[in-house]
Amino acid sequence: MRPRRAVGAAVLLVLLLGAVLGTYRSVRVADDDPARRLSSELRCPACQGESVADSRSPIAAAIREVIAARLRAGDSPEEVRTYLVRRYGAEVLATPPAQGWGLLLWLVPVLALGVGAGSALRTHRRRRGAAPGARPAPPRPTRRPPPPVTAAGVWTAGAVAVLALVGGVAVAAPRLATAPEPARRPGPAIAADPVLDLLALARAAEEQGRYEAAAEIYRTALERRPADEIRLRFAFILIRLGQTAEAARLAETVLAARPDTPDALLMLGLAQRDSDPAASVHTLRRFLDRAPGHPAAAEVRRLLGDG
Amino acid sequence: MTGQVGSVALGAGLAASVAATLLWLRRALAPDAPVRPARLATAAALVAAVLACGAAEWALLRHDFSLRFVAEHGGRHVPVYYTVTSLWSALDGSLLLWLLILTGYAGLLARTVPADGRRLHPWAMAVVSVVAVFFFALSHFAANPFHPVAPVPADGPGPNPLLRTHPAMGLHPPLLYAGYVGLVVPFGYALAGLLAGPAGRRWAVPARRWTLLAWTLLTAGILLGAWWSYAVLGWGGYWAWDPVENASLVPWLTATAFLHALRRPGAVDRTGWPVGLACASFLLVLLGTFLTRSGMVASVHAFTASPLGPVLLGFLLVTAVGTVLLIGWRLRLPADSDTPRAEPLLSRPTALLGTLILLTTIAAVVLAGTLFPLLAEAVSGTTAAVGPGYFHRTVVPLAIVLLGLVGLAPLLSRAGTSPGELAGRAAAPAGVALAAVAVPGLLSRPGPTVLAAFGCAGFALASTAADLWRRLRASGRRAGWSRIGTALAHAGIALVAVGAAASAAYTVSVERELAVGESLTASGATVRLAAIERTGDDAGMRVRARLAVGPSGRPTGTAAPELTYHPGHDLTVSVPAIRPGLLRDTYTTLLAVSADGRTATVRLAVNRMVSLVWAGGALTVLGGALVLAGTVPRRARRGRIRRDRDRPRPAAPVAPGGAR
Repeated sequence: MRPRRAVGAAVLLVLLLGAVLGTYRSVRVADDDPARRLSSELRCPACQGESVADSRSPIAAAIREVIAARLRAGDSPEEVRTYLVRRYGAEVLATPPAQGWGLLLWLVPVLALGVGAGSALRTHRRRRGAAPGARPAPPRPTRRPPPPVTAAGVWTAGAVAVLALVGGVAVAAPRLATAPEPARRPGPAIAADPVLDLLALARAAEEQGRYEAAAEIYRTALERRPADEIRLRFAFILIRLGQTAEAARLAETVLAARPDTPDALLMLGLAQRDSDPAASVHTLRRFLDRAPGHPAAAEVRRLLGDG
Repeated sequence: MTGQVGSVALGAGLAASVAATLLWLRRALAPDAPVRPARLATAAALVAAVLACGAAEWALLRHDFSLRFVAEHGGRHVPVYYTVTSLWSALDGSLLLWLLILTGYAGLLARTVPADGRRLHPWAMAVVSVVAVFFFALSHFAANPFHPVAPVPADGPGPNPLLRTHPAMGLHPPLLYAGYVGLVVPFGYALAGLLAGPAGRRWAVPARRWTLLAWTLLTAGILLGAWWSYAVLGWGGYWAWDPVENASLVPWLTATAFLHALRRPGAVDRTGWPVGLACASFLLVLLGTFLTRSGMVASVHAFTASPLGPVLLGFLLVTAVGTVLLIGWRLRLPADSDTPRAEPLLSRPTALLGTLILLTTIAAVVLAGTLFPLLAEAVSGTTAAVGPGYFHRTVVPLAIVLLGLVGLAPLLSRAGTSPGELAGRAAAPAGVALAAVAVPGLLSRPGPTVLAAFGCAGFALASTAADLWRRLRASGRRAGWSRIGTALAHAGIALVAVGAAASAAYTVSVERELAVGESLTASGATVRLAAIERTGDDAGMRVRARLAVGPSGRPTGTAAPELTYHPGHDLTVSVPAIRPGLLRDTYTTLLAVSADGRTATVRLAVNRMVSLVWAGGALTVLGGALVLAGTVPRRARRGRIRRDRDRPRPAAPVAPGGAR
């Protein structure tokens, strides 16, 4: 028996050594790609439940490029994360950070385990206290007996409750059905036309004043669908950001295909104001000729000094 | 016509379940009240649900677009199979299926009086009937699929294309619902135990049987859902910690905890773990229904926004408050048993207690992660997301410890085990566990978490096998289905853990744009793009990439992932092609095709050991079924027939396991 036991112990020891060595080797595995790790911690803003690393949506591709570019430029992953949170809001993080409300979430496992273990320990102590002598615990003092309840009373109460349940649903349901529907959430990640998603996203960014983000999204959208409307929206944002040369190029592309498009003339005129004021005045006058009733016409007249 | 039949059936079902509730309540309050009318009312509710479902199916199959549900979810181009399944591919129809299953359970329960629970049974029936009343009312007033539409469209869009790409659609939702809804019976028995006075002490016996039935079905449903996700959604995984997936997992966890709670001494108490867990399981089912049916959470599986949400939430709150009040009232009554003796630390009851704490903690964590975005938005107005990262960092360590406990429990005896004895018994399983860590750790670098999962799974498998072997030998191979089933279920869970850990650690994927003739290699698997085929018809466009799979030069097979565009829903679905293997699946997805049709972006993934997840899950389901079979001894069946003389035709007794 003895030798067998000794052999068994030796085998276990060898296995333990192997396990420790194997785990040690595994711990030292470094995630070689910080861009990949960072993008897997971010949520694709246009999708449902997909990380930026896994998503195929263009906006995720754009964010991946931003991450790669910033890391190449020497930013630390932490800086890139902060930058992206500033740009896209806190919901771009796939998991809430452990601060503020998010901390509560991270405390759930600790609290749940603590409550469970604590109550088990208390019960154990109480029972151990009761165990010596194996006396049955003194019967719990019964408070006064519950008031007598007649079967008929219970039945009537039950009947009223059930009818109230049916009545409640019957009354509540039609009212709720006619209530205005809450705004629809963005469709699932597999929406057929991601460009529409992108445009909605860009518009939202624009409204929040995040023009750089909007420009990036428009650029991606334009790559997917070279449409004039997108070119002009993109040009407008670029003008706001002061990148007038590219804006002018976009407006000219539109004008080459459809000469005298009022919006394109407007964008071109605005884009030319810094580089070529004379051409700008000319273009804006053409715009006023083509679309005197355009919503922007009054503003353009003011710019041109026409009163 | 069909619409009227359906509407009338729903109304009749509502009336019948109101009658059933009151009649069962009368029977519960006065044991000599006749049972026959109550049974008839329950049967009438079942017939009404069958009629309503039948009418809806008939309308779908006949393409009767004058009904709202058919106009919104039917379509002439949809194959017959997916026309049948489209009943549960949208909100209103899925409620009909829910009703059918609920009344089915009520009908089954009405005929299954536990041998020593005759006072309990009518109370449980009354509870189940109240739930049926609510769902009939919900379907009739809030989500009636039989409302007419005008003008009548000529054709419909058909169900969501994702829900008609895989045959599992015919099986997964009904199974999941059967498991989900089945938890109403243990809930009914738990409340019955609280309500029925001294007779209530026997509630746990029937509650366990019914939970086993529901648990087995729920396990199968969750497993099929994971498989569907793997085979249809095309992202290569099977569990995304999506809110709807979580909503099915949380009741599963508490139901599992309930089954283990009944194995502890003192489980007859009506104030402790068992009652709490049985009630929590059904309340979590209601919560899950609320989450998935109200459009509150954004998910791939969720249905769209509807007025059902507030009504369901109201019912959930009323039920929860009622349950808590009942348990609180029970606490004031004298305890059922004397204070049991303290258990030694190294004993099976302690291990079971640890299991309960861990399972409920995991359930709480999953629930918190699912609800956090909703609560954060409601309370502070900020949107937040809880992604897989949170669950990986919280649930996975807890699950690994739990797995270790699964291995430890069979080594401990009920009365306590000395440390020396435990060391002797644990030596062989510990050797297996260390080997399961050492070998993969030295040959590859999967990371410490994965190694810990391998180790604990190896420990659980070895100790379960050793325990079963010991018991089979000791009892002369008549260990009973129950023991074998328990061992199989535990082994299955361990295998699922191995599969999940290995597929997380060893999966390799690459994606690239390929011209015809080019190839892509990942982890020894190679695919060559042979052709890109486009076909189109009224029902949509289909682009398929023909891929030759195998080592370069000598292809061993083909795969054809495709992209289909459905104009009715304006939706593009990517259907992956999977070549399953014992230890590695070759998983190809077509991501995009260039406008000129010459190049295709293909993703190639080699998923390791995913088959273990399916095999382990199937083993767990089989284990559950065996334990269930073990709880229905033949003697009891015959005995019950003799006793139940008031039943008209006792020739075909239906035991809880009779649904198989």
